[in-house]
Amino acid sequence: MLLNELKVGEQANILCISDDVFRTKLLEMGIMPGTRVTLLLKAPFRGPIAFSYQNTLLSIRNEDAQQIAVDKLSIQA
Amino acid sequence: MKIALFGNPNTGKSTVFNLLTGLRQKIGNFPGVTVEQKRGVLHVNGASHELIDVPGVYSIYPSNKEEKVVYDLLFNSSDSDKPQLGILVADASNLSRSLFFFSQLIDSGLPMVLVINMYDVAQKKGINIDISELQSAFSQTPIVIMNARVGLGKERLMQAISEQLGALKAEPSIVTNSLKKLSDLAGQETEANARNTYLKSIIHRVLQEKEGPIRTHPLDRWFTHPIAGYVIFAAILFVIFQFVFSFAAFPMDAIELGFEWLTRWLRDALPDGPLSSLICEGIVPGISGVLVFIPQIAILFFFIALLEDSGYLARAVFLMDRLVRPFGLNGRSVVPLLSSMACAIPGVMATRGIPNYKERLITIFVAPLMSCSARIPVFTLLIGLVIPKMKLLGFIQLQGLVLLGLYLLGIVSALFIAWVMKLMINQEKRSYYLMEIPEFKRPLWRNIFLTVFEKIKVFTTEAGGIILAISIVLWALASYGPREQRRAAIQALKTTDTYMQGSTEEQDGLKNSVLLENSYIGIVGKGIEPMIKPIGYDWKIGIALITSFAAREVFVGSLSTIYANGSSGNDFKLSSKLKQQKNPDGTLVFTLRSGISLMVFYVYAMQCLSTLAIVKRETKSWKWPLLQVLFFGLMAYAGAWICFNI
Repeated sequence: MLLNELKVGEQANILCISDDVFRTKLLEMGIMPGTRVTLLLKAPFRGPIAFSYQNTLLSIRNEDAQQIAVDKLSIQA
Repeated sequence: MKIALFGNPNTGKSTVFNLLTGLRQKIGNFPGVTVEQKRGVLHVNGASHELIDVPGVYSIYPSNKEEKVVYDLLFNSSDSDKPQLGILVADASNLSRSLFFFSQLIDSGLPMVLVINMYDVAQKKGINIDISELQSAFSQTPIVIMNARVGLGKERLMQAISEQLGALKAEPSIVTNSLKKLSDLAGQETEANARNTYLKSIIHRVLQEKEGPIRTHPLDRWFTHPIAGYVIFAAILFVIFQFVFSFAAFPMDAIELGFEWLTRWLRDALPDGPLSSLICEGIVPGISGVLVFIPQIAILFFFIALLEDSGYLARAVFLMDRLVRPFGLNGRSVVPLLSSMACAIPGVMATRGIPNYKERLITIFVAPLMSCSARIPVFTLLIGLVIPKMKLLGFIQLQGLVLLGLYLLGIVSALFIAWVMKLMINQEKRSYYLMEIPEFKRPLWRNIFLTVFEKIKVFTTEAGGIILAISIVLWALASYGPREQRRAAIQALKTTDTYMQGSTEEQDGLKNSVLLENSYIGIVGKGIEPMIKPIGYDWKIGIALITSFAAREVFVGSLSTIYANGSSGNDFKLSSKLKQQKNPDGTLVFTLRSGISLMVFYVYAMQCLSTLAIVKRETKSWKWPLLQVLFFGLMAYAGAWICFNI
């Protein structure tokens, strides 16, 4: 499933990021396949989403979140 | 010597910068781009060095044009600009991410000092850093623990800087070839992977962390709520505007009164003549015209800095981004645009927070369309003149409704033009919106005070000169004219009945009116009459249009002079005088049509020198302010024509 499809509070591991430039940018920020993320906020009207990883709350746009494939974990945060 | 201050966004880099340099700061731009560069003086062991605040980034490889300044500073700057020492501010809660950028800087060959900031916050979260283990991994770099918000660790940092400066070798170390060219994306990805693997082994030894993901603050649910979120945002803006309008009015009046008093005093003290006139009517009002903006700039930036420093602004950006994106704007455009409803100057200056150049440019371009407070006197006068005092449905004031309509026209037009610009400006690269949402913090007064101070300084020193110069030119054009023509006009006036029967005050008023009519501006005003006739104005309005190019509210004063109203402060008298004005063919000058046409003209026309000066400053070119004059001028004319003729 894609990152933007997670519900608020759901955890997932990142599987892959399709866009080259975006993948490199995220890699430089320490986000890569295997990184555990928790979706924490969703802006109204399919606006940006915010997820936490390590100790950061990072927001990205909905369509950019669609570039990120994740593997949802069954346990909830 | 140059010392560069690096760091990820939200690591407290600016706080460290403010702590080290205080008021000894200078704002400029990085060479060739419009990215803000702050430089400050740093005294180490009696020698003074220049500390450069580098924009917060995650990597030396830029993800947009603005971030390229970091790469350029390291590899493409002239020898005099090249930093000899770097300081990296790391957030203790996010050590591994900071170390990524840090290790790139180490590889660039730059001697470094590593600051672990906000360690107290990290410890509360259960994070422990083994500093000696970290030190052994980066043996060449002194590591300093700081808590910059309370000023803790400043001495240790100065000590480390001094040590590193003392150890600088004459020959710079050789750049490790692990760094890649900007175009080599694949290489950068490989490098990032290798770097992450290498850092993981260090982090594993250094960092002890309690497991478990962070949670959001309970307030975040409300701040980003589909209904409550917008209500809270609107309420905060409402409070800010209340403050701007109620608190700014007092110092603004004081400044204007003070300068009026100064003018009177100077007029008495100086011998009559062109010099006295230049000082009293050109220079002093020009300076007053610059200073009068300071209260609004100060109050608006006080609140913007407060929202930013507390962490709320990031929530507002998160909430608003989706709504304004169809128009080519960024969530970060919202606060600058709304600030422009008080005054476009702080609005344009606040666009520095927009990371994407295209979105920033669009925001700057459309900001003057948001109806600012200087339009209020113009609208009030015209609405009182042509809109009947009546109620719709028994409770809606028609006059108020028209005023609201003018504001909405400005907002809708701004969004429309932003949308057109989005389609017209090409972007070379796809941009990503990656924004950290920081934790809520108690605002730091030092940071807020320094922001306000900087903005005022930039406005007065950089825009002030342009505003003053053009004010003086406008003064000269309004107070000089062909000598013979003016003398003849005054002679002719003196033979009229109205003049001979008038009191001294009325005679002075009539004289001033005739002098303005026969000044260079008056001649131009008459000259453009054929142009403004189709939109319903006579040459008198033409003169007021030209003089209000300096600032919109001048319109009221100019009409007052032209119609020989005498004391310019009396709006009621002016209004009743204007109501009786007739065209040569006997029709009224101010009708519903010409009045609305004039209001629409003021919604669009780019009549504010100060905004133009600050747009020039922010975009580093005259191209954009001139485009604003031309384009908004055309819109004003077209809109006014439509209103007058349909």
